[in-house]
Amino acid sequence: MSETHYHEDHGAIADAPLLELVDVRAAYGTIEVLHGISLSVPQGSVVALLGPNGAGKSTILKVVSGLLQPTAGEVRLAGRVVNGAPADELARLGLCTIPEGRGVFPNLTVRENLWMATMSGVPLADVEEIAYARFPRLGERRKQLAGTMSGGEQQMLSMARALSVNPSVLLLDELSMGLAPLVVANLYEIVAQVSQEGVSILVSEQFARTVLGIAQYAAIVLHGTITRVGTPAELEDELSAAYLGS
Amino acid sequence: MQTFLQYTILGLAIGGSYFIAASGLVVTYTTSGIFNFAQGAIAMIAVFTYWQFRWGWNWPAPLALLMVLGVLAPLLGAALYQVVMKNLRGTSEVTKIIVPIGVMLGFQALATWVWNPTSSTPRQFQKFFGPNAFVHFGSIKVSWHEIIAFVIAIAIAVGIRLLFVRTRSGVAMRAVVDDPELLQLNGGRPERLAMISWAGGSFLAALAGILIQPMIGSAMSAGQLTLLVIDAFAAAMFGRLRSLPRTLAGALVIGITTTYVIAYFPSKWTWASSFRNSLPMIFLFIVLIVLPQDRLRGATVLRLRERFRMPSIRTAWIAGLVLMVVVFCLKVIMERTAVNTLTLALTFAIIALSLVLLTGFAGEINLAALSFGAIAVIVVYHFGTTGSGSDARTTLWGILLAAVVTALVGAVIALPALRLRGLYLALATMAFGVFVSRMVLTERNERDIFGLKFTIFTAGQLTIPKPKIGPFDFNSPDAFLFLCAGLFAIIGIGMVYLRHSGYGRRLAAMKDSPAASATLGMSVVRLKLSIFMMSTAIAGIGGVMMAAQIGTVNSDRFDILLSLSLMMITVVGGIGYISGALFAGIFLIAFVQMLDLTLKKFAVDYSSIEAIFLFFVSVVTVLPATIGITMGKNPSGAVSEILNGLDQIKQSKPLVITLVGLEAAIWALAATDVITNWHFVILTMVNLFIVPVVGGKVLLARAMRGVPKPVPPELVGIDRPFTFDDLAEMDRALDLEGVVVPSAGTVREGATGVSA
Repeated sequence: MSETHYHEDHGAIADAPLLELVDVRAAYGTIEVLHGISLSVPQGSVVALLGPNGAGKSTILKVVSGLLQPTAGEVRLAGRVVNGAPADELARLGLCTIPEGRGVFPNLTVRENLWMATMSGVPLADVEEIAYARFPRLGERRKQLAGTMSGGEQQMLSMARALSVNPSVLLLDELSMGLAPLVVANLYEIVAQVSQEGVSILVSEQFARTVLGIAQYAAIVLHGTITRVGTPAELEDELSAAYLGS
Repeated sequence: MQTFLQYTILGLAIGGSYFIAASGLVVTYTTSGIFNFAQGAIAMIAVFTYWQFRWGWNWPAPLALLMVLGVLAPLLGAALYQVVMKNLRGTSEVTKIIVPIGVMLGFQALATWVWNPTSSTPRQFQKFFGPNAFVHFGSIKVSWHEIIAFVIAIAIAVGIRLLFVRTRSGVAMRAVVDDPELLQLNGGRPERLAMISWAGGSFLAALAGILIQPMIGSAMSAGQLTLLVIDAFAAAMFGRLRSLPRTLAGALVIGITTTYVIAYFPSKWTWASSFRNSLPMIFLFIVLIVLPQDRLRGATVLRLRERFRMPSIRTAWIAGLVLMVVVFCLKVIMERTAVNTLTLALTFAIIALSLVLLTGFAGEINLAALSFGAIAVIVVYHFGTTGSGSDARTTLWGILLAAVVTALVGAVIALPALRLRGLYLALATMAFGVFVSRMVLTERNERDIFGLKFTIFTAGQLTIPKPKIGPFDFNSPDAFLFLCAGLFAIIGIGMVYLRHSGYGRRLAAMKDSPAASATLGMSVVRLKLSIFMMSTAIAGIGGVMMAAQIGTVNSDRFDILLSLSLMMITVVGGIGYISGALFAGIFLIAFVQMLDLTLKKFAVDYSSIEAIFLFFVSVVTVLPATIGITMGKNPSGAVSEILNGLDQIKQSKPLVITLVGLEAAIWALAATDVITNWHFVILTMVNLFIVPVVGGKVLLARAMRGVPKPVPPELVGIDRPFTFDDLAEMDRALDLEGVVVPSAGTVREGATGVSA
């Protein structure tokens, strides 16, 4: 693996990458939506994908999580090419994805939802302990069906999974979708803490300001290509024009 | 008191077996979202296999049980999932219903093939520990078999409950239904769980079958067994396909009431036995009425793999004319029996049109089209004919009355189920179909209904004369052939008009998203009801035509399995197309019959290799079901394939001329008796299949050499991928300036804005 060589290509990101995308292309049917995405997520850092609706942010995450096969290019996890590996295998290897919307099973109780998280190898007792310590609200509602909880509580539940399975890479898709700003701020605080524990995080977000507060790097995605990569400070000026401008 | 206890215990045992079958349905539906219509057929296959091992080859019972329940049934279920059901992801509800029905019909045909029902030795199926193993509780004696059945049922209820709540795999099975993708992101394997659940469901079906068969005490019959476990549907519905305790309660109630009917109904009530047989269906119907309204779902727009194109009104008229011309040309060269077959095929095509209208246009499902036909036939028989003997004719008013009555009956059937999802309407119609077969069509005694002496199904058969409409008498076979072809064309063209009207667009909207339609202010229920009534009226007219063509019909002609076959083949043809209905009629009646007759003729002609041809005769019986099972791969149907092929051919004038010219030449040869009809059929097939294929290859080769054909702007992104050049082209066309167009692969500096 020529990691050093690769860094030189992406001068902006200099730490050792845990997750890399190299010229990844992806399509829904005959319609190509990602036209060659290259991106690195260094160990223990937060990389934010920013861009308007339909830019391809979620598709990038789908490709990384193994739900969508790329048509070309490579996805590398800890230096290994993982194209074509099924999502469940990647999940058991330590890639944790919180999908867009609510990442919960609505007809399962809170406890049963957490039980599903144990497929990555962590015992249920540990998962429950971590989850309820972080979100006491979930502890009160452990026998309630997840679908009957509020949006914020559902997002807490899906975050609880991310916290407890001890992942090496965390993928977050539109964490803020449909939630109150206060809840969003709260959730991102947790994301920041998780990253400090050494987890590499790739997050797609439309609430640029919130996520830039915790991200080390950001990439602007437009029309299925990455138009700019840099630190939040470097991107500050462009953001209002390129992204908020829409 | 003794009778009461005796029958209660029998009822509990039968109810317990219903529950076992129903729990299998719940398990597979829970994990794969597919309602397994083949559950009864799997049970039936298991019963026959067990019989073969146990009494055919005299194996000891434990070995036979282990082989059937422990090995073969789970394997069958797992294989079904892997080979067939897995492909149903992302298909419409219709396809999800039709494919298991295909499996069911396939098993049915297979069983009749392997275990010939007309063979001389009767197949006896005994209770566990033999027919004389009883336990005595005071004055009543209970067979061990009944005790075993009930105990197993309770054990399974408890076991499945524990599985679904106390084990991670069980909880994961429930999670699969909610969101298979999310489960995968959690590290679960949805496909494997679904396969395991199908293996389990198949095991439960087999177990239920082996328990039920000796308790119903009659000879083994493939059809009866298949439909018997359908009675478990009612129990599964009572639990709304989710709750096992309620499913158990429902199953026990059904089991007990059916045995009480036998025990307590006075023997002078001649309808008691039909009533007992249709009781589960009545129960199912009541459950559908009391089920709470389904939530309108519109949050997720399902991206379905089915795609149908609707012809323009002009195309419809042309197609109608072409049909009439083709029918005329065929009539000229065909023998009398072939004319009759073609007419019958067209009457079935008319019935299939009712399915296209209902399912193709509105997304609702009717599994008992022929039962509605039966209602219409009964009405015409009693009220719609004039004259007698050879002068008897069906009147226009009779046909219209039949259509109206059928529509009203349709409304009554559909009304309770319309609030619910498509599957429930499908089950309600199926319940109606079985009810009609078991209760109405078995009515041969004179009844005194409201002071009116009346026999519904006189002597087990009804004679329907050919119609006479105004001055036109359609008594001759040729005239009736043209009537049926004309009727098909007119109804078909009418449906195309309907589809292009505001009403048709509302139907299409409702099919796509009932929730969105409701928010636009449409009354979804009224829309569904009106289309259902229209559809059943067409089925009624088709049924009358079918009966008139056959002359004298018995109740077999309206069998539910035949309705299911017709529905299946229509879906195979393409449920969204008028021509799909024509395909269904021709395939189900003419094509299958032609193959059958030809193979049998060969068997006689070449008697030394007779066995080979007779083998293929059996293959033909399984053929329609096999084709139905493959629907998962190509859910848009055969007609869609053919149309796509035709599109290719239309590009090339020489090819069209070759095709039509050759066909005309073949027809001329047949008309002048130079070649026989048999050669005509063969040559036509060769012409219709070979020329387009070879021509298509040539066209393709030419296309490869030349310039790619331009794609119209509205299809960019659909017929070929959308590129940045397209964006630039659009911007130029729309006179947009300063719009950001990053080209692929390059990193653009200083973005200034995004096109709004």
